[in-house]
Amino acid sequence: MTDDGIDGPGEVVGRVLGTADATPLQFWTAVSPGSYLQLDDVVVTRRELPDREPVTIAGVVTHVRARHEGAQFDSDVFAIADGTLPAQVQEAAEVTTTRVDPELYVPPSPGAVVHRAEGDARARALHFDRMERRIPMGMGRDGVPVYLNADFLDGSRGAHVSISGISGVATKTSFATFLLYSVFRSGVLGGDAVNAKALIFNVKGEDLLFLDHPNTRLDDATRASYAKLGLVAGAFPDVRVYAPPRVGDSSGTPDVSSRLTGVDSFYWTLSEFCADRLLPYVFADADDERQQYTMVVHSVAAHLARHAQPADGGVSIDGVRLGSYADLVDHVVEQLNDDETRSDWAGSAVGLGTVNAFARRLIGSKKDLSRLIRGDLATRRPHSINTAESAQVTVVDLHNLPDRAQRFVVGVTLKSEFERKEKSGTAKPLLFVVLDELNKYAPREGSSPIKEVLLDIAERGRSLGVILVGAQQTASEVERRIVTNSAIRVVGRLDPAEASRPEYGFLPPAQRQRALLAKPGTMFVNQPDIPVPLCLEFPFPAWATRVSEAGRAPSETLRSLTQSVDPFAVVGSGGGTSDDDIPF
Amino acid sequence: MTDPRFFVDSWDPAYGASFEAAGGGPAAPSSAQVDADAELPAVDWRAIGPRAGVRAPDVVLLVDGVRRIDASVWTAEDDGTSFPGLAASYAAGVVRCDLERGAAQLAGARVGRGLFTASPSAADVVAGSVRYPVHRVSGTGELNKLPAAVQGPLTALEVEVSGAARTDGDLLVVDGPLRNRRQLPRTLGYIKTQHSQYLDARLTTVVTGLAAGERSPVFKLGTAWGGWSWYLRLPVALGAPWAGIVRMECSAELGIDEAVGLADLSLVTLPRFASTPYKDPRAPQNLIPIAGLERRLRSLLGDARLLHRVLTAAARARR
Repeated sequence: MTDDGIDGPGEVVGRVLGTADATPLQFWTAVSPGSYLQLDDVVVTRRELPDREPVTIAGVVTHVRARHEGAQFDSDVFAIADGTLPAQVQEAAEVTTTRVDPELYVPPSPGAVVHRAEGDARARALHFDRMERRIPMGMGRDGVPVYLNADFLDGSRGAHVSISGISGVATKTSFATFLLYSVFRSGVLGGDAVNAKALIFNVKGEDLLFLDHPNTRLDDATRASYAKLGLVAGAFPDVRVYAPPRVGDSSGTPDVSSRLTGVDSFYWTLSEFCADRLLPYVFADADDERQQYTMVVHSVAAHLARHAQPADGGVSIDGVRLGSYADLVDHVVEQLNDDETRSDWAGSAVGLGTVNAFARRLIGSKKDLSRLIRGDLATRRPHSINTAESAQVTVVDLHNLPDRAQRFVVGVTLKSEFERKEKSGTAKPLLFVVLDELNKYAPREGSSPIKEVLLDIAERGRSLGVILVGAQQTASEVERRIVTNSAIRVVGRLDPAEASRPEYGFLPPAQRQRALLAKPGTMFVNQPDIPVPLCLEFPFPAWATRVSEAGRAPSETLRSLTQSVDPFAVVGSGGGTSDDDIPF
Repeated sequence: MTDPRFFVDSWDPAYGASFEAAGGGPAAPSSAQVDADAELPAVDWRAIGPRAGVRAPDVVLLVDGVRRIDASVWTAEDDGTSFPGLAASYAAGVVRCDLERGAAQLAGARVGRGLFTASPSAADVVAGSVRYPVHRVSGTGELNKLPAAVQGPLTALEVEVSGAARTDGDLLVVDGPLRNRRQLPRTLGYIKTQHSQYLDARLTTVVTGLAAGERSPVFKLGTAWGGWSWYLRLPVALGAPWAGIVRMECSAELGIDEAVGLADLSLVTLPRFASTPYKDPRAPQNLIPIAGLERRLRSLLGDARLLHRVLTAAARARR
């Protein structure tokens, strides 16, 4: 391989076919005997021009086929295998052009030699040479790293990632966390990487609660593949995990079962609930948003913000002290049912039916939200999720929460984070938000406060440094504006019906077929720089993804354990705390 | 201008004489002298089945050639007269059927082209990368005599390619009569269309009465290119009396025992190569490897329309 990459880009693998049209954007290559081309291989050919420098045409193999030449009938294969009919096996590969250099769109001439692109020629073919900052995403099928252009992730030229695929097989969350790891650890963001934060919502199981624990199943081969990508295999160094308080636990201990150390509980106090007007997020059902009662929601929220006074953890409204969310709901419903006070709370022009619709739903939220909105815990105790003051990676565990509570937490957290970024006015440090099941929070139909927040992030987040890494089973069910605003689109294994939808138009037909078969760890990544989605495999996580894989907990976690523990309990236990005996 | 001028007939050469012989049974009785008593006395003639213990060879080579008239041309002589000519392409190839390995490969193929004419002034036609060397035909060189002139160079080409592919213990099957290839060892001529009736009426009934996979006794033909010969019937749904019958021949220089041995060998070797009617209009006589070989060779000849165009352009350039 020479330095200029044109004279000897790699071994010769075939010649451009003349029996099928060769076009500047797509052409077929006959594979020479003894060579092979597989899907995703990168090839390069050259076209000589009479009056100027030659054009280098590079592309990715998007289709390969082998056939018997000289056979006319399907049954001829038996005669050929029997040794009676002479035939030749000929393989051919369809190449989709990724780069024409210089940009002169002429077809390659049939008969032109096609080389396998290696080294610099491969990097040029995939536009890696034009990427000033390259984030390693995984290995291509040829076992060589493929990169993501950081400009399209950090907001310089684009932002947001949309990951689609079947649950369980598509490894969407694993890829999202690997991407974060790569962003933080590859050094591509330079100094910004230190301050960049990530907010991860853990929706299913306790998978993401062990990001800071090394993976005990990590072997040398995986370490080597991390090294090949320029990364050190290891756990996330700086992680903080938040979990909701246990149901019915007055001390507010976090509700987690597998991870026992270094977990903080999060909740909102009643006074925050009233002052920050969080009431609309209780009614986050998209369908209900079209109803009349939204007027009542906003009017009650305004009334709460105006009249609620903080009172020792709880709030006091009109002289009544309310110590829990249930109390608050009961009080509001009582006031709404009272003819004298109703107009103060709900406004004058609201019918009784509308008020009742609101009251019914508010009462329904008691069970789900009373563990999150508290009036019985000390206000000074840290309880809010704030990535600016948290660790580099903040994991918010939602998996134990019912649907309505999940929406409330996501909506309120994103709103407060986004408002904080809005106030700070600068894009740096970056905040990556990883949210699975985006179709639940930002469905295509209807509108809701959460969807508005997510739309805001999708449309303005790029300039404010909020990068949404959204994952969903079906991109077709997610608000179109969010999907279209994602510069980077990733697809794992897809459902066959889903794959045929226009949201996946960026996948060429062959890749669309392959997405139906993609095995865990294989992703197709489309980025604006490269006209063809790249197929890649990302390495096995170097951090634990479940409790059985978790290695020794990092020391910071243990320290946080001793700090968060009730000092009297430590004294009472006599012999100090061991890892196994955790006093809460 | 030194190049002699010529004109390309604008008619498609396919409208001229056809190379394809008509099928069916032998039309005319032959005057050739036949010695029918070689293997069995003529009075004892009967169908012979496969001999026990005879195995088909592992490697069978099949040789064939194809030819095509690319254009009919007329030369323009200095004295104002004109000679007809044929620009023909021909190709010969050999298929190596390795029955043990189950692989049939093109073991060699050569393509030749020529301008066949009686014109004394004709010169090679060079059109781009294509070259038609002159093959001067003796005599008056009428147009309908010219196609036969292509056979000579084609046979020479066939001998050339088949000689290169030989290995020990193989069997060479030549498509058509052996003619001047009789000195090749372990070689059979394979004649798929029967033009002449060599045997008398009584012996002919033995031939037409052959079941599939049976052969007639070996007899000797006394013609100039004569030799040992026998008929065999390939697997065929019984129909017309001559359906599936082919005549085989081998060199007259062999002894009768060797000839009978080759005849037995042909009976166990050839039936498996027989083609099926819905795939090949000349089934079963046109053997599968031969059909495949002909397809390959025809593709090697190049595109007929392209060559016709090239010749026309070359003729125009000399004007």
